[in-house]
Amino acid sequence: MTALPGTGTAGAGGGGGPGGGLGKRIYGFLRSIPTWVLWLLVVLWTIPTLGLFINSFRTRNAQRTTGWWNLRLDDFTLDNYADILAAGAQGGMWRALLSSLAIALPATVIPIAIAAFAAYAFAWIDFKGREWLFIATVSLLAIPTQMSLIPLLRLYTGGGQFTIPFLDKTITLFPDLDLAGGVASVWLTHTGFALPFAIFLLHNYISSLPKDIFESAVIDGADHFKVFWRLVLPLSVPVLAAFAIFQFLWTYNDYLIAVTMLGAVGENYPATARIASLSGEFGQAEHLLTAGAFLSAVLPIAVFFGLQRYFVTGILAGSVKG
Amino acid sequence: MTAIFNWTVNLLTAALVAAGVAYLVNGGLRGRGPRRIAAAVLGLAAGGAALWGVAAVEKLESTARGIVVSILLSGLLFIGANKLFDLAPTRWALFRALIGGGGALAVFLLLWGNRAIDQPVLRTFIAALIGAAGGYLLGVEKGKWRRLLIGAGAGAALGVLAATGMRSVILRFELEEGIFDLWPVLPNLNFGVLIITTALGAAAGYLGYLWRSRRKGKTPAASIVGWATVGFFIGAWGMPTLGTGQWWEALLAAVGTGLGAGAALGLKPVPDANERSRLEASSRSYIFVIPALLFIGGTLIYPTLRTLFLSFYDTRGEEPVGFANYSSIFTSANSFDVSGWAGIFGSRLFWAGAAIAALGTVVAVIMGRRSGYKASFGPGAGGATVLGLFLVCMAAFAALRGTLFNNMWWVLTVTLVTTAAGLAIAVLADRAKNESLAKSLIFMPMAISFVGAGIIWRFMYLARDPSREQTGFLNALWVGLGRISSNPAARLITVIIVSALALLLVWLALRSWRAGERAIASGAAVCALPFLWFAFAVMRGIGGVTEGPGGELLADTVLFVQETPFNNMWLMLVLIWIQTGFTMVIFSAAIKAVPAELIEAARVDGATESQTFWRVTVPQIAPTIGVVVTTLIVLVMKVFDIVKVMTNGNFDTQVIANEMWQRAFTELNFGLGSALAVVLFVAVLPILYLNIRRMQKAAG
Repeated sequence: MTALPGTGTAGAGGGGGPGGGLGKRIYGFLRSIPTWVLWLLVVLWTIPTLGLFINSFRTRNAQRTTGWWNLRLDDFTLDNYADILAAGAQGGMWRALLSSLAIALPATVIPIAIAAFAAYAFAWIDFKGREWLFIATVSLLAIPTQMSLIPLLRLYTGGGQFTIPFLDKTITLFPDLDLAGGVASVWLTHTGFALPFAIFLLHNYISSLPKDIFESAVIDGADHFKVFWRLVLPLSVPVLAAFAIFQFLWTYNDYLIAVTMLGAVGENYPATARIASLSGEFGQAEHLLTAGAFLSAVLPIAVFFGLQRYFVTGILAGSVKG
Repeated sequence: MTAIFNWTVNLLTAALVAAGVAYLVNGGLRGRGPRRIAAAVLGLAAGGAALWGVAAVEKLESTARGIVVSILLSGLLFIGANKLFDLAPTRWALFRALIGGGGALAVFLLLWGNRAIDQPVLRTFIAALIGAAGGYLLGVEKGKWRRLLIGAGAGAALGVLAATGMRSVILRFELEEGIFDLWPVLPNLNFGVLIITTALGAAAGYLGYLWRSRRKGKTPAASIVGWATVGFFIGAWGMPTLGTGQWWEALLAAVGTGLGAGAALGLKPVPDANERSRLEASSRSYIFVIPALLFIGGTLIYPTLRTLFLSFYDTRGEEPVGFANYSSIFTSANSFDVSGWAGIFGSRLFWAGAAIAALGTVVAVIMGRRSGYKASFGPGAGGATVLGLFLVCMAAFAALRGTLFNNMWWVLTVTLVTTAAGLAIAVLADRAKNESLAKSLIFMPMAISFVGAGIIWRFMYLARDPSREQTGFLNALWVGLGRISSNPAARLITVIIVSALALLLVWLALRSWRAGERAIASGAAVCALPFLWFAFAVMRGIGGVTEGPGGELLADTVLFVQETPFNNMWLMLVLIWIQTGFTMVIFSAAIKAVPAELIEAARVDGATESQTFWRVTVPQIAPTIGVVVTTLIVLVMKVFDIVKVMTNGNFDTQVIANEMWQRAFTELNFGLGSALAVVLFVAVLPILYLNIRRMQKAAG
């Protein structure tokens, strides 16, 4: 199964043989070399985050003069966190974190609802052009976000006008609601971009639910709405949770859409945009940047470790089954 | 007003939170006695806390309000639509009233949004009432002529309502050059055109009737009147110049349209029970799909087409410029610079890569001779060939500069390395002790934002003034290595330790070779190579020190982020660091999903571990590898945040996405920005095609 076997039997060769000499023991020890390589990689993978974490608790002076591996108790401080959370030109992280939530939570809830309806319809309601529409929807997954940004921003700033071809008459389809600069524009954008993946993921799961339950429900006189509400939603909780985590991480960590839609004002900037702008003024606030970057990563990392099982399920359902 | 609204929403928020907590406390509301009380108290406390928090923090308040409003709105809309169509089979008149009111409301909202009517609130309200009344009467009335009268009457009334509002609508701008009137809508009717379009519409309606519904025994009247109205509408509002007509012309045009539409509805007979339930069933699919399609249309399809359109226009999207934007992309040295091509052949990397690839191929050919094939790329020979070609590509990209080449470089390197590393780690972790802990730690960067990762790695790559102590991890290592390597005693100790480790590995390789464990043997041999190289390098002198003029040692840092062209690869490393966890998790699951019988069968047939892996496991997970590679290509193609935070495209690290962002949003050159977006889109098209093919196969 593996190219380098013996990971599972590590130590068996060394400790197992009662008559094993020193050479045999060393051999058994070395035989588990894949495990050593693995843990070496794990350490390498963790060092950057660990370094940031440690540095964020060190004083400005310590950060500027010595590397984070010089651990001294005198250097320990919580001031970086206090400073960056407070309001001010170099802080404002608290507000930015709340903005991140203000963006990420609705941008997670709205697409889930909409995608669940659509996924159910694509899976279990028979209508004309279903296959075709589904494939078209999901294939939009590959469209780069950048492709939509310019017209979307114009839509939010000036509303949507449509010029009827040949007649040369312009009508307003989407009024100018002055959305640009507000978090609502970011929700709408995230919702649209999330839908193809969400529909794909939920459809994979919902279409694999056993057919019998639908048939018996229909015999009992339930319509599609009841079936969806009473059967499909409760049964799909695992995949809904998976997508919710995925989408939450994605929207919380997003930078491009937030910074494009919110513009230069910066009042509603989320944590990612805040630390990016702080890092632009490298130097003055450098020592706060560590705390800021760590703070912005705390929530996603907590969500990730707490709900890892669902997250992995979600990724797998989205990529392997297809 | 706003305050009351906010408080209502706050209360609702608190209630929602309370209900959620209560529900979570083990279904407490369904429990009995103390449990129920505990749940209620906890729920109330949580609700109170939430309310307090909401009121205390202005930002959180708006968040919570946004969530509640979005949940309530979308929920109400969806449930409302479902309930509406539940009415269709049972309470037809009410259903028709709601549809009529809603339809009139929608039309007047469109007029309102286009500033076509004055007193829009009142008019829209009255229009909804008229529509509802008309719909209700059409729902109950069965007499043919009376239905016609009701429909036409309601439509005409709506027309009058709209046209009277249009009389005085003018948006007046008073500028220095004079007074400008905008948005006048009165049409300047041309009766010849009006008659022709109406007649064409009627003819189309009759043809449609002949084609579709003659067999059902209906009369052509409804179809003819309906399509004639469409023709009239186009003739009255679409063809003439708006804003130059008289008020009576607007009245005629609006009343005519309303009258015709209403009459067409009135001419249709009341549907029987069968038709009603069919209507209900077919509408259901639309209710479920339309919200998603609206969003996709609004945020993906329309903007994509619009970007395509804008890419052929100038900076502000006003004057068409043909392919000028595209040609400026492909002729600019910033994006497409092949002048350094000769440098490819001057780089050691190229020759080393070519040599390794040639060696791999030669070995493959020799192995192939032995087994009767033209060439046989086993894991060793194949790996060497791929590695060699990879190095050759790196040398090529280091010489060919520009945004487009940078993007290709990113795609090739990140995709290849991430896939290979993910697969390797998945294999290593499989069956290892504490597998899940190791995988979690490698997976963790996935949870960190690209911006955060960029900052984390900026601290890793930090290079400080050589005279001071290095605080960036990698430079500290590099300079430390230099110090060791230039100090005879330290050098000797290092060389001895490293050589001992290498010898241990060589011994392991020999011993396991004799024991028949070839995979371990080759793995150990490969692991020993870098140790040997490292010992050799330390002896020769390696690391970041130079000798000063007085013979003293000076630190010599690596400017990871600034030194072109390989700073690109250091930026890529950040993305590799993030994405390897993702590929690892997927490959790990795929490897575990390979049927155990297949592995067993291969073993029974005498295959070694390595053969089992390459000939059974890899072909089994090949589809997964395909999915991972395509996903990665799309993701890497769009890389933006990392470059933006770490270099902002300076030092020759520009990529298409960042270039596009700079052109469009800092220089406000929407034409060029759109063209760059289209280039990105075209590059992704093959993947789009592959995805569609895969879906079609999966669909059957």
